[in-house]
Amino acid sequence: MHPATEPTDDVLVAAAAAGDEAAFEDLFNRHRRQVGRIAGRFFAQREQIEEITQDTFTKLYFALHTYHGTHEASFKAWLAQITVNACYDQLRRVRRRSEQTLGELSENETKDFSTQLRAARSDVEGALISRDLALKLLTRLSAEDRLVLTLLDVEGFSVAEIAEMTNWSISKVKVRAHRARAHLRRIMRKFV
Amino acid sequence: MFKRNPQNREHPDWAGKLVLRAAVADEQEIEAASESPFLFTRVRARIAERQRENESGGWQSLPLIAWRAIPAMALVASLAGGLMLWTARPANTENAANTPAVGFGMYEDALTDTTDPGVEQTVLSRNNLSHEDVLNIVIERGEVEKKK
Repeated sequence: MHPATEPTDDVLVAAAAAGDEAAFEDLFNRHRRQVGRIAGRFFAQREQIEEITQDTFTKLYFALHTYHGTHEASFKAWLAQITVNACYDQLRRVRRRSEQTLGELSENETKDFSTQLRAARSDVEGALISRDLALKLLTRLSAEDRLVLTLLDVEGFSVAEIAEMTNWSISKVKVRAHRARAHLRRIMRKFV
Repeated sequence: MFKRNPQNREHPDWAGKLVLRAAVADEQEIEAASESPFLFTRVRARIAERQRENESGGWQSLPLIAWRAIPAMALVASLAGGLMLWTARPANTENAANTPAVGFGMYEDALTDTTDPGVEQTVLSRNNLSHEDVLNIVIERGEVEKKK
């Protein structure tokens, strides 16, 4: 909730759509962290999060005239949708670039990862997996699989919420989640 | 016998979730990225770049526009042609059948004006003058002028 003196998101969107640069900057400053947090669920490097933030606000700028907010939360939901789509596009680009290597682990990395998993199983509280290894393994998943699993298992969104964010049908989200889990399970079986 | 062991699924699933959570950026990284200096300036620069691209896209799309205009232009041309033929068609179809057409519906009579003298015939029929009478008048007028 914003203080009474501050304009609401909807007011700022209307002003920005009319060409008010300051209103667009206010929107940016108000929501840059939200965009960064969502981007951080998919990408670990600072440069990647910045790239997603830039891409999201650029897309937002050109879509301002299509926004029709009805309540306080609708702008945030709309922005989350744009951010998730920007992440999805970036995941597809990354996947295309890394198709040759496709997350192959070296012998040492495989050993390390198996050790980390065993340690994590015995100490659930202190479970710690190397981020680099995790990122490398996740490049084996398609962009759709990665997107749906992250939104379900990391962000804790419901199937309906994911369907709304991605513009997919609920049944598509369910099928995609089922296949993605099966795929990730097959990858993990080699290490557990 | 064929029932799957749930533990076989649970452990890889648990490991998968662990991997997904490990791949997430830490809070410091997210904060640093969000508070990065000149981030808004870079957003503005990207917007300006996209706007330029959209404008130059107008020139690039000209052949496409021309391609789309071809059916409309063909339709207009055929309509104009049809209209021209329709307006040039003679009112009396019996006469039109006897006279050979010249060019696009232009009849020879219209160019040479030989078969239908119009006003001349009307004057002769009104005064009951034959062609010989007219010839005599012309000859007489010529002689009078010579005498003068």
